[in-house]
Order: sequence, then C-alpha cells, then structure tokens
Amino acid sequence: MNKEEVESFEKNEAQLRKIYEEMTILSKKKPDDAINEFKLEIINKIIEECNGILKNNKPFKDFKKFDKDLVPSNSDVVVILSQYISCFGKVRSENSVENMVNEFYWLIDNKKSSIRTSRPKQIGYNK
Amino acid sequence: MAFIRPRLNDYYNLSFTQSEVDFTIPFLDEDIPLFVDPFLLWKSPSLQDNSLHTSLINCFNNIVSLANQNKEEIASRILRDCSECEEAGLGFSETKKGLKIGKHIIENIIKLFKDIPQIRKNGLIHLEEIQLYIEGMGPDRISDFTCSFLKSFLIDYTIEQSKKYDIPLIKIKSIDVYDYKKHDIVREHDLDLPINPETKKPVLLIPKRWLRKNTWINSDDYFSKFYPEIILKREDKKKINRVDILDYNRKNYDVVQSYIKFKEKIKVDCKNDPLFEPIPIFSTKRILNSILKLSVGREGNADRKYEDYLFKLMASLFYPDLDFAAAQSRTDSGVLIRDLIFYNNRSMDFLKDIFELYKTRQIVFEIKNVKELESEHINQLNRYMANQFGNFGIIITRNRIPKKIFKNTIDLWGGQRKCIIIVNDEDLQIMVSVFESKQRKPIEVVKKKYIEFTRKCPS
Repeated sequence: MNKEEVESFEKNEAQLRKIYEEMTILSKKKPDDAINEFKLEIINKIIEECNGILKNNKPFKDFKKFDKDLVPSNSDVVVILSQYISCFGKVRSENSVENMVNEFYWLIDNKKSSIRTSRPKQIGYNK
Repeated sequence: MAFIRPRLNDYYNLSFTQSEVDFTIPFLDEDIPLFVDPFLLWKSPSLQDNSLHTSLINCFNNIVSLANQNKEEIASRILRDCSECEEAGLGFSETKKGLKIGKHIIENIIKLFKDIPQIRKNGLIHLEEIQLYIEGMGPDRISDFTCSFLKSFLIDYTIEQSKKYDIPLIKIKSIDVYDYKKHDIVREHDLDLPINPETKKPVLLIPKRWLRKNTWINSDDYFSKFYPEIILKREDKKKINRVDILDYNRKNYDVVQSYIKFKEKIKVDCKNDPLFEPIPIFSTKRILNSILKLSVGREGNADRKYEDYLFKLMASLFYPDLDFAAAQSRTDSGVLIRDLIFYNNRSMDFLKDIFELYKTRQIVFEIKNVKELESEHINQLNRYMANQFGNFGIIITRNRIPKKIFKNTIDLWGGQRKCIIIVNDEDLQIMVSVFESKQRKPIEVVKKKYIEFTRKCPS
C-alpha cells in the first residue's frame, strides 16, 4: 500500500465501522424492516469505495453493492457490512507491523512507516 | 370485459393519481359519493372560498326576497332548476341521472321563507340550515344547489384544471348557468368543457377541499346530538318522529340558531372528507395479525375473511401510489374468484414499466387462501388477463409457492409474455412493516417481486 491508499483505508474503515454500529442498533430493533433509500445510497457509496480499497480482498466476488429495488432489510445490511469489516481487518494485518512496545505501524511500499495504526484484530500480523 | 369503475382520466389515458390533483376525479358511470358542503367554504381560510359562500347565500336569499315580493313563480322556477347539478356528478346515483325537486318541496321552501319572520327579514346565513326545516332536503340537495349557484366559478375552475392536466376540452352547445348579476338562470353557449365520453354530457370538476360525506350542519346530527339534549327527555326520543322535529324547528327559530352557533363554534373540527381514507397503521398491524392466524381453505368462512381482510389492507398499503378501484367477484369454470382491482396511474417507474410492457391499465390482484398454489390457479388468472389488465397480474396467497409453480409462471412469460407475480404472507409482513416504519413504500415490495421474477426469466 502507498500513503494515499493508507489514508483512504483509514477514512473508509472509520465510516464503515460507524455505519455498521448504527445499522446494528436498527437491526436489533427491527431486523426485517426495509432500509430506506437515503441510507442505502450512503451505504452503497461507502461499499463502492471499500471495493476500490479491498480489490481482490472483497468479501464476495459478485457482490458490488445493494440493489435498492430488492428492498434489502436492516439485517441484510449488517451481515454484509460485518463481512467488509473482517476483510478490512485482514488487509490491515497484512500491511502493518508491531514494534517492541506493542505499537502498530503501517507498512508503506513494504517498509515500516511512521504512520501508526490500530492493533489488527486478525491473527497473523507482522512482528 | 369493461374497464372496472372507469374514471375520466382512465378514458383519456392520463396518468395522474387522486392524491396528486386538487379535484375529485369523476367516475364515468356512477356519481362520486361525496357532497359539496357550503360550510367548508364558509370556514375556509381562503378569501375566494369565503366570497363564493357569500355569493351562494346572496343567490339563495334573493329567492327568499322574490318569494316575499309575491314573485313565487320565478322563485319556484329558479329553485327547481338549481336543485340538480348533473355536471358535478356528486351523490349516490348509479346512473348519473338526478331528479329535480318536486312541487311539494318547492312549495314548502317558499312557505318557509314567508312563515319565519327572521328568515323573511334577514334570509339564511347557512344554506344547510334549510334541512332542519324542510322534509326531503338533504345533503344531496344542498350540494346540488351549491354547485348550481356556483356553476360559473366551477366552469372556470374546470377549464383551468383541465388545461393543467391535459384533460381534453370539447366545445359544448349550451349549458345553464346561474347569472349572479341578473339573479336568474341564463344559457351559455359554445363553452369548452370536458365531457363524459359515455353520456357525452359536460363534466364539472369539484375541488376536494369542498367535499364531505355529509354536510357539517345536518338534520341527523341535530336530531341525535343536539335536539334531545335541549328539548326532550331521553325516554321521549323514540316517540318523536322527524317531521315533528322539523315542525318544532319552524316554530322555534332560536333553537335552530343556537345549534348553528354551536356548529360554528366547533368549526375547527369540520374537515373535508377524502374519497378514500387509508386505515391507520395500528389497524394494518391488527389486520395482518388476523390474516396470519387465519386457517387456509374455506373452513369457518376463512376464505371470505381472508378476502375481506386483504381488501381493507391492500387499498391502504398502496395508497397513494395506486388508487383502489373495486373488489369484485367473478366465476371461472364454476369457481368463485375474488379480485382486488387498482387503477394503474403510472405513479412510479415500476408501474410505468408494466403499463408499457404489459399494457396494464388496471392491476388485478387475485386472492387465494390456499395452502399450496396450483397450476389451475395460475391458469385462472391467465384466462382473466386481457383488455385493461394487459398481460400482468398478481396472486396473493398464503405460503411460498412450490418451484414447479414458479417455473409455470416463468414458462408463461417465455411462451406468451404474460407476467404473474405471487405475493405471500411473508411479503405482506414486509409491506406492513415498511408501511409502519415509512422506510420504504409497500408497493416497492411488489416491485421487488417483479424484479426477482424478471431476473429468472430467459433473456
């Protein structure tokens, strides 16, 4: 990953996690209720950006975004967003390195950078 | 097979829905079951409506004045000629043909104008109060008098709205109009107005904001809520008939006036009635629960109950995107079938699609309270899909359909380009859920089923 890709990753992951939190609350209340078009449009924009970042690490090859005509439910959206979050974790773990004091830094162009990142949740990060 | 409950816009292929326009869309072969209530003009915040109410009262009080100047003949003629306004098409007539008031009622009205000193001197304040004095005067007559006296305005309004919504205007030879300056009926010639294509008679469009199921001031309300409280002890109520009350009213003008003042005081509660009123959200949930608990088949009249529940539910769920036309029964090969019919007003892209692809001008929903849908059920709807329904229909049933039946519908599309969508209890639950949360429209659930169907069709 290069510096721009790292910045884009951090921004999109933050958005993804926030919308996931919001949708989880909605889904707990009414899992089968349809999501409205405005929210779906926002979610689709985030997903499209995420697809650009994840490239081959996308959760599903044939899923590009939600079809608003198929009236997806809150729980449908939560399932998909959780898959994207997992994939983001995988990419982070593959592109970050831990120092001696358990701090994590991005690998930029395969070299340890000075940009800190959070601890990857996936197992298999670089030491 | 004729168009079911055709409306003016259906005939001319105009796509507006009832909720989009300011007027009530006229039916071609029956009247609109609402009345013009002059009280709505009186209480309206619009200066134009207030002025029209003043004009209306002036017209009527001119008749009072004629009666008291011994010009009963002219007064009677105007009363008779203004007592029916066929062009407005309001009321409960199934033939669109109304009758003018009889000689006896006219005589009673003239007598009233002479007998009650306050009316003789000051005239009426509200036209509707005449119902409280004269037998045979009801909201239909009040509505007709109002439309007749305000016909000149209604003609202008009709022309304006027709131009706005592309309703064709036809030059009509003549129409009788009340002339406010001459205070008489005059015959206008060569006016451009929409016509009822079936009767070839001119049609007037009536603003929705003027219409109610009954007039705000009415004799039923007066008799049931006001009159007994003031005059009668509860036990006497049954002994008194309507004619006695009218007689009492003629002798007790002040009592009637106190009722009128009371109705004026609570004018804020007086609202126009829509032609169709969707049921509230909690009712849709209640009906859905009743449907879900209902057994399949005919035991305990379950099929009939299912049809009745769906009739109430679907008309509300799809409003205002689809205007409800009718619930109808028909027989196919000796089997009684119940349908719900909606007008396809092309109010969204999906509806435009089925209009263009399948020539669907009315959408038929066939109701099947069966455990498992069978090929014969598909065939029954297929046989019915013609004319205004085009090649599109919907079956509402209880459970998910077997794969072979779904394949049947795909094959039908492949062979005849006919599209049958099947909606079940699960879809109804989603529809009610989105109706409640307002996140999406229930009609979008039908669209979803349609898209799912088209994606399975061979390309």
